[in-house]
Order: sequence, then structure tokens, then C-alpha cells
Amino acid sequence: MTTLRELAQTFGIEVSTRAPGELWSEIPEEQFTGWVAAIAAAAVLADLFATTGEGEPSLTAVFELRGDPEWLAVRCRLSGDSFASITRSVHAASWYEREIREMHGLEPVGHPLPARLRLHDWPEGQPPMRAPVDERLGAGPGIPERVPMVRGRGVFQIPLGPVRSGPQESGEFLFDSGGEDLVAVSPLLGYKFRAIERLAEGRTVDQGLVLAERLAGVSAFANGLAFVQAAERAMGVSIDDGACTARTLMNELERLHNHFGDIGRLADATGLLVAGAQYAALKEEVLRRCAELTSHRYLRGALAVGGLTAPLPQAELRMLGRDVPRWRRRSRRLQAVLEDTGTFTDRLETTAFLRPRHAAQHNLVGPIGRSTGADRDCRRDHPYAAYDRVTFEVPVRSEGDALARLGIRLTEVQQSLAIVEQLLDSWPPATTGGGGAPGEAPGSALGWSEGAGGETLHWVEVTPEGRVARWRARPAALVNWHVYADACASGNNLTDYPVIEASFALSHAEFDR
Amino acid sequence: MSRWIGIGLHRGVLTTRYPSRPDPADGTAPSAVALEISELSGVQAVEAAGLCPTSALRTDGDASEGSITFDAGQCVMCGACVRAFPNAFRSVHRPEVAVRSRERLSVRATWTPGSGPALEEAAVAATLARRSLRLFRHSLHIRHVDAGSCNGCESELQMLSAPQYDLHRLGLFFTPTPRHADALLVTGVVTRQMEQPLRDTYDAMPEPKLVVAAGVCAIGGGPFAGSLMVHGPLDRILPVDVYVPGCPPTPLALLHGLLLAVGRAEERYHPAGGSDGA
Repeated sequence: MTTLRELAQTFGIEVSTRAPGELWSEIPEEQFTGWVAAIAAAAVLADLFATTGEGEPSLTAVFELRGDPEWLAVRCRLSGDSFASITRSVHAASWYEREIREMHGLEPVGHPLPARLRLHDWPEGQPPMRAPVDERLGAGPGIPERVPMVRGRGVFQIPLGPVRSGPQESGEFLFDSGGEDLVAVSPLLGYKFRAIERLAEGRTVDQGLVLAERLAGVSAFANGLAFVQAAERAMGVSIDDGACTARTLMNELERLHNHFGDIGRLADATGLLVAGAQYAALKEEVLRRCAELTSHRYLRGALAVGGLTAPLPQAELRMLGRDVPRWRRRSRRLQAVLEDTGTFTDRLETTAFLRPRHAAQHNLVGPIGRSTGADRDCRRDHPYAAYDRVTFEVPVRSEGDALARLGIRLTEVQQSLAIVEQLLDSWPPATTGGGGAPGEAPGSALGWSEGAGGETLHWVEVTPEGRVARWRARPAALVNWHVYADACASGNNLTDYPVIEASFALSHAEFDR
Repeated sequence: MSRWIGIGLHRGVLTTRYPSRPDPADGTAPSAVALEISELSGVQAVEAAGLCPTSALRTDGDASEGSITFDAGQCVMCGACVRAFPNAFRSVHRPEVAVRSRERLSVRATWTPGSGPALEEAAVAATLARRSLRLFRHSLHIRHVDAGSCNGCESELQMLSAPQYDLHRLGLFFTPTPRHADALLVTGVVTRQMEQPLRDTYDAMPEPKLVVAAGVCAIGGGPFAGSLMVHGPLDRILPVDVYVPGCPPTPLALLHGLLLAVGRAEERYHPAGGSDGA
């Protein structure tokens, strides 16, 4: 099977193109589960989400297929408040279905473990994403009972968090240990749940963008870009060349500062403080250049519907052109010494190991996915902005351990620098975009970007007045947290935990939302 | 290992001399916005408030008679007002934007038919430096709590340990335990689920103790004010000594806020421009 369109045809599903590159199909409720499971066997389930609001609730499954630039979205209207779970045949759907149950109050019938993912102190029967929520809330069930995952002689439980030791994000982890070995780890997430998607409903698209950029700080641009592209496609707004190039450049700068930061924190976690400091210094240099280009260190406020809020200043772009060779030289030197420091690489080898066959069931994204053989990168698979004009390689490894994740990030740093250089070499005249003629407005559309953590997929429905009707954000961390506990329990020690956490570099804010 | 020592030595000293000397990165990223009220008409004020994605700009009344409130404690610096009315709203590039009282972050101006907006003199009592502050002049141990942030503030806090800032040279340290902490630094809106862990952390700290609200989410809820899942702002839950605006506050703004908290720096920011606001 080479394309999603052909795949849909074999199942007899009629598809229509809404925004360019998006195939949509409405199918009857009773056939939804069967077809989604069948398509998921041949393609990659990229997202499964619900909408509840006026009218009936609905379910939407989004698919992609390696080698096909299109997306396939299959939607059904539900007549009641339940649907047949597909988790038993498609493991990647498990957390999506739990989320749908928790946030929208739709019951996945047959789900093996339909427990909550985020809400601790929240009453039953008040799904926070489903209007209207009764504001006079009663007491909730409280923090979930801490059931030990492992029982046995000498096995005890160590709680970590939600307030962590350093300036880190809040999240709780329960370690089951026999003394030194990490038998099982259960993450208790959701402490930071802010209900961002609900908050955006009814706001203007510009105000929605401000929220999307604040979904997560270190992936502010990736989430902002996915949101704004979805909104533009929904409203039929086209973007000119100059704005596309600038967006691509900023996307790469954000990937770069994240990778520098993540590699540095991994070095810190192993006690290699000089390397940690050197990479932190590189990250700071990228952040300062971002600030000079856009007046914001994390590139917030640079995006606007239809293009950019301001063209990137020429003088600062020339400075960036001089930075790139320096950053390349220094990062290559650091990389060579890192890879040659045995005490460092020994800590990473086989640590937090993911078996590729197991990982494949989770449809992982980003460096974590690519370290387990998942050859997925939406800059190449679904080119957006100006990615069709640059050449780059997508590194893929199959070891699935912390060392492989580091290797992917190290290679991607060099690729990002090469992309920045290519963009600067063919920089189009400065524009802020917005000149594109309005095309057909399908009202809702997908938007995507490849952040440092991986594929970021948003879906936005815009009202004719230009307000956000519904918004679904599926950031990279939402997918990758699913596999975290399994990686922790792959024969590691308690002292490996900082290394595990740093090598995954998962955002709590992105997951909690 | 010796190669790492070589790399470290070869790079030399990257560390800023801030606050004794200005930092070269001063001014690359704005730290706040200031309002020049004489450059704004009533019509423009109403229009500007319509652009604001948070409640940083609010107007009452209409273009002929009304009032505008500018609250830097809610400003995420999206730049919408700065781009629309560059004379009236200016980016403040200096990092010294932290203040000791919430009132000092907001100003209100009123206008009547025939006269343009004029600032109301806010009756802000001079905030006296607390005596306990002097205790921490030489060394301050900070317990950070993320009460529901986007990770932007944490990223900047982590950068304080980067060679360019190196907060230890100023006697500032992050501590893992609240028992050893002198100051509680809170980032993010206080979500329903982080309120209790936040209170527990505060209660576990010995007296005297300081509380720093870093970032607009902690100060006023920022873009998340009004969410059902949010209990913030912070000063509704804990007594706050210093407010550091920003989204996120830059590392230098955070350093200034921490130094202000221990009486080693002065308040310099005023939301309505002023000689020190530039």
C-alpha cells in the first residue's frame, strides 16, 4: 500500500480533500472502530481525539503513512456517550482513549485500564473539556491511590515529586525498588493541567496563538507554528515565500537551542559538568540570537496569522550567518570529546532501553522515536513552510537506549545548522507575509510542525468570524510519555534515573496542557 | 578527563559582571512594556485594549470619557500594542523590572471629553525593605516551585547556572529542600493540583522567609487567568515579597528580582515610563 488514499479505497471509505494535503472522511459510528483498527494496522495512528460541544459528540482519528505527504482523518458522530475501544488492537490509542474519557466524558467500552491521566482532585461526571462545567464543584476523589506496582519481600516504594529538587517542572514519580534496582516507575502527571484548549474557545485566532505559544515554553515556536498553520489552512490564508523561509529558520533555531540544552542536561546528569556548562553556553548564545531576531528569547510573538509580525532584521541575520560556523565548530569539537569519554558513554549504553518492536506499538515521535527505528519526521514527510526547499538527513538508529537518543540529537544539531545555512544563502526579500489571496476556507484544518521533541499536530476549527471554535493540540510529549514507564523498567538502577529523565527530556507542560 | 579541563580553560570566562557592570545581553530581549500616556488618545486606548490578549490593558467607558488600566503584571509582551502604537507603548529593555508590591506594576489613566488621558496618582505606600532582608544579603538559598508553568520560566532559571550568568558568584543557590531555603521562588499559575504541594513547601520552610513570584502567570495568572483549573494568582495564596514580570522573565531580570528581594538592588521600573523606566 503506497498511499492513504489507496488504503481508504480498499476499505471502501469515501474521502474528500479539505485543506490541501488532508483527506477527510465521515463514517458511520458502528463502523468507526473496525475501520480505524484496520487502517492503523497499515498506517500510523497520529492522533485520536474527541470533540464535544454543540450537537453530538464526535471522534476523529488522524493517520499518516511513510512516503505519503497526505494525512487521513476519519471522523464519526456518536449517538451516545460511549464508543467501542480500539486499544486492545491498537496500543497507541490507549492514552488517547483515556484522555477522551477523562476530558470529554465519553466512555471507551472495553478499554483494559480506563484510569484518569491528569485529574486528581476533580469530581466524576464533570469532564473539564465538555461544556458546560458546573462551577460549584464538589470534592473530588483526591490524589489517586498509590498502589505499589510490585509486591514482594524487600520491595518498597520511593515517591519523587511533585516538587522536584532543582528548578524543574512539577510531576510525580513513584519508584518501586528492591534497594538499588528500578523495578517499576509510575509517573503521576497532570499537576499542571491548565485546560488551555478549552480556554481558547471563543477567543480570536490571534489570542489563541498567544495561548498556543504558551502551551510549553521550550517548544513555544513548534506549538505556535502548528496552531497558526492549522488556523491559516482553516481560513484559507496563504503565506508568501519570505514568511515561510523565516518560519523555517525559527523552527530550526528552536530545535537547536533545545538540543543544546538537552545534551547539556544529559551531560550534567552523568556528572560531566564541563560539557554541561559548554552546551548551556551554546544554548544561551542561540537564545540571545533569537532575542535579537524577534525580540523574544523563545520566539514568542514572532508568528502572526498570514505570516510574521515583523520581518527578521537583516543585520541580525548576517550575525546569525557568522554564528553558524562557530556553533558548528564548537559543537563538533564537544561531540568528538563526548563520544570519546568512556565514563560518559558507558552510563548511557543500554540505559532506559526501548525494544524497537515494543516502541513501534506506541507510534513514537521525535528523537525518542527515531532512536528506536521509527523513521518519522514531518519536516520531510509532510513538508511545511520552506522545508521543501532545503535538503537534510533524518538520522535513524535502532538501539533504543540513552546513547542512541544522544546520537540522534547530536546529528540533528549538525543538520539544523546546515538547514539554517541553506536558508540564509537563499534568503528571499524581507516580507511579513499576509499578501496571499484568501482561498477556499474549509473551516477546520490540521497544522503540524517538527519541534525538538518531535511531531506536533494541532487541529483547529475556526468560526466565520475568525474565532477559535475548537482546538485540539497533540504535542510530541503526549505521545512519548506513554512509553516512559516501560523504558524506566528496562533493568536500570535508581542512580540511572537522572540519566533516564535527561535522555528523554519530556515536557510536563506539553503533556499536562 | 584532561581534555574537558582543556575545553573549559580554552573557552575562557564567559560570565557577565552584572549587576556591577551592565551585561552585553542587556537590551536584546525586552523585559517589560511601559506606557507613555501623553502619546495615547482615548480612541487609541480603547483600540489598544482590544488588541491585548490578557487583561494587561483594560478600559472602562468609551473614547470620549473613560479610563485605561495598564497592568504590567499581566503583560505577556506579545507586542501587539507596541506595534500598533509605538509612541505610547515602549519595550523596556533594561532588566531591572522587579518590584516589591503588586500595585507598583499597574497604572490607571482617565480622560474626559475635551482632555486626553491623564495618569491617576496611585496612592502606593512606599514599600519598606523588611528588616529580615538584610539577613540574606550575603547568601540566599532558593527553593523553586513550578506551580503550573509552561516550562519557559524553568528554562530561564536553568540558564542562571549557565556560564554566562553563574548565579553562585552572587551567593545565590538553588536548594533541593525547603528546610534549608530562605526564599521560595514560584513560577506558573497556581493550578488546582499544585496548590497543596505549594502550600506544603512554604510551610516546611523556616522563618524568616521570602516569596518571589516570577513571571506573569505567578503574578496575575497571565494568559491562563480565568481557567477553571487555575487557583492563582500567587499572592492570593501566599504573601509575596517580590514580583518579577516577564513571559518568561529573562535571566538578568530574575537576577535583579532575587537581588531586590535581599535588598541588594533597587526598584527601577515604573509602568508609566518615568526616568527610571527606560
